[in-house]
Amino acid sequence: MLDSLANSEKWLVFVPKIEKYKPNNAFTTMSQESLFPKETSFSLPNDLSGIRAKVIGVGGAGISLVDGLRFDNFESVENLAVDVDNRALSDSIAGEKLSFGRRHTRGMGTGGEHTVAQKAMEEEKDVIRKKLDGVDIVFLLAGLGGGTGGGATPVIARLARDAGAIVFAFVPLPFSWEKGRHKMAEGRLSELRKIANAVVPLPNDSLLQMGGNDATALECFAEAGRYVSKGISAICSMVFCRGMIDVDFVHISKAFNRRAGRTLFGYGQGDGKDALRQAVRELLICPMLHLPNVSKAADVLLIQITGGTGMGMAALQQVSTEIREEFNAGEHVVFGAHVDENMGDRVQITVLGATDLEAGTKVVDVAPIASDIISVIPKSKVAHPSKLKQKKGNSITNENGKKHSSKNNDKLDQNTFSFMDAENQRGIFGDLPSRNIYAGEDLDVPSYLRRGVKIGI
Amino acid sequence: MSKIIGAVEIGTSKAKALIGEVSPSGSVHVVGMATRLNEGMRKGEIVNFRKAADAVHSALADAEKMSGTTVDEVYLAQTGSYLKGRMLRGSASVSSSDNRVSASDLQRASEEAKRRQPDNGRTYVHHIRTPILLDGRIVQDPVGMIGSKIDLGYWSIDGDDQAIKQALHVISNYSLDVKDLILSSIASSTMMAGPDLRRAGTLVIDMGAGVTDFALYRQGFVAYTGVIPVGGDHLTGDLSMGLRILEPYAEKLKIEHGKATFDPMEEGDDVWIIGNKTIGDRAIPRKAITDVIHVRIVELFEIICKELEGLLDPDELKGGVLLTGGASLLPGVEQVASKVLGLSVRRASFPSGIASELAQPENATVLGLLHYGLEDHSLPGKKKDDADVGFLSKFRKMVGLCAQD
Repeated sequence: MLDSLANSEKWLVFVPKIEKYKPNNAFTTMSQESLFPKETSFSLPNDLSGIRAKVIGVGGAGISLVDGLRFDNFESVENLAVDVDNRALSDSIAGEKLSFGRRHTRGMGTGGEHTVAQKAMEEEKDVIRKKLDGVDIVFLLAGLGGGTGGGATPVIARLARDAGAIVFAFVPLPFSWEKGRHKMAEGRLSELRKIANAVVPLPNDSLLQMGGNDATALECFAEAGRYVSKGISAICSMVFCRGMIDVDFVHISKAFNRRAGRTLFGYGQGDGKDALRQAVRELLICPMLHLPNVSKAADVLLIQITGGTGMGMAALQQVSTEIREEFNAGEHVVFGAHVDENMGDRVQITVLGATDLEAGTKVVDVAPIASDIISVIPKSKVAHPSKLKQKKGNSITNENGKKHSSKNNDKLDQNTFSFMDAENQRGIFGDLPSRNIYAGEDLDVPSYLRRGVKIGI
Repeated sequence: MSKIIGAVEIGTSKAKALIGEVSPSGSVHVVGMATRLNEGMRKGEIVNFRKAADAVHSALADAEKMSGTTVDEVYLAQTGSYLKGRMLRGSASVSSSDNRVSASDLQRASEEAKRRQPDNGRTYVHHIRTPILLDGRIVQDPVGMIGSKIDLGYWSIDGDDQAIKQALHVISNYSLDVKDLILSSIASSTMMAGPDLRRAGTLVIDMGAGVTDFALYRQGFVAYTGVIPVGGDHLTGDLSMGLRILEPYAEKLKIEHGKATFDPMEEGDDVWIIGNKTIGDRAIPRKAITDVIHVRIVELFEIICKELEGLLDPDELKGGVLLTGGASLLPGVEQVASKVLGLSVRRASFPSGIASELAQPENATVLGLLHYGLEDHSLPGKKKDDADVGFLSKFRKMVGLCAQD
């Protein structure tokens, strides 16, 4: 979808307009006639439901992500690019552009200093506030390793939350061999996690694992773009389109109305006769779900399935149950299914989940919280029981992964694809309280990820 | 009268208990040994006390049953990344008027060296004596020699109080006393590298499941020890993540197909994860498995190399590098180590006389505990009956193992 991320130096803000679903048709029936001809496309131009969404690209990486976004069916999606670097902005094809921080940087970059961008953004809050006015969903795209992305993104996220929007952030992280930048990005990530509703980190380390054996850095960035597009499309199509199984904005907003301690994000696609199953299989081996520090259990799970007209209800039902169990999702599951006749026999599954490390607390506003409450370090789990924790407690018998749990198998039939057991999919040291730091690197993270070695499977 | 002694190693994957009988003639017979999977430990640290204790207790019970005796005291191996070693030095001027060195001079030097307290919340686990210098010359036993100044040093390992207490607790819960704490790397290197190798200079690397211990000997004395919290479990974890498979399958692949270096002959070869073609089974290229392992192993030896910076002089390490521990069974690991460390590397072999079922690399530490415990580590000139070690030390010559320090 998004192959043109060549200009990795830009940040972009992209705001899609949310199209409304018509109340009279809101609960789409399962009947084939009413569904398929109408619901196949996501865009119902000029049909605004009053829900607005905006994609905002911040800084160089963010802007190139926004420029690269392609929503086949969301023509009306708006985007906004924000940067301190005027030149980068002028190259962008974003619909709206906003440059800030002229006083601090004279229109040039921040030189990697996130404090500069942060300060500049704080001073120009009002301008951003205006841009955020009336927006219900904000997608923030920013490379956290950069000065502008790292500095301004949390500020924008906070302003957006203040304005009452749900904030989803998709943030590429530098390779871990870029030591300084990587460290800073981690700091900014935990900052952002305190504010946004869901933060999806896209570490370059793991993006490298995708694609062909000799994938270049450029392809790796393109991969990031593809993920971002999938994520945003999944959420937008839930909100703006009616589907086979419909979800509205209120569902999503309820489900994600908490802080994003840890998130998981995965994507799989399949085609042919066994498309759905293949998509699940691909989803489960999605590298984004196999990162250290990625939660494998979710308090809130959003599942979006898009397929061609042949998608069967029974299969959907089964897949949704499987995915739900896979991630041990509780009652907050938002399941959406859409039929797109352009898909032919292809099926795409996107999951986005969040686990609140501070169970039960809803983010009422963005009042400052003790910075140690939610940190990337799993240590904090101890003090704040959440689903993630409970799950661990229940699974003492296979804590070390020596046994292959068969807990799901008895109630599912033979076709059930359950060889991936959530229990064991956590990085095997993910449950330990301390990180294994040596010379600034966490030794528990596989060496091949840290050294940027591509494993061809 | 023969004496019964025990040794316990609480390892990350397995807890091992060993019971030895020291006969009046001085030879040690292993009369009981048991191994239990230990699920209470990760990376060399106890994370689940009950599980670790259960594993150790049932290993001890089995070993006692096998030997038909009971033990009162055990030597306990210590490892874990919380251990830090440093060199403590002490000196004393020779006090007598005729400049003859007396045992009390040595004692004073030793006290001065050990005076330095570890940081708050830490305890010394082990003091390992380094050579005694008399006026700058290395001497074996200076007592009675003429000189003016004695220098000696201890390579001292201190560790986190809590962690050490926890390990001791595991043993005391079984109503046993811990006779001595012994550093795992010292135990295994005592076993695998004989006195001649240690004099020639050697590096012993014990690759366990959770941690990798190493000890470097120069001129017969310990010059450095270290613990890297990376072991065989990390290979499994990396495989599980890199190949996106379940951990038990990753473990199986590691054991059956794991290799540290890729053999180009195997290009294009695939292996099945589960092997019975059930749903979810996938074929995985051998190269992917080897790649994941190779990067990790290279990194491990690079870290060791970094830790030992300046000490890896081939002229000082004529004995080469010895690998032991369960993870050293990985094919090709010596070649990788040799490339990274720039020294000749081989798998350590047990001295003759160890029963073949015991002579497994993973037993190096626990066997080494017994032998180290039997050695005399007291200062020269010290009255032998002062210390418990002394009591056993009369056997040591006859045992014929590792006698010189």
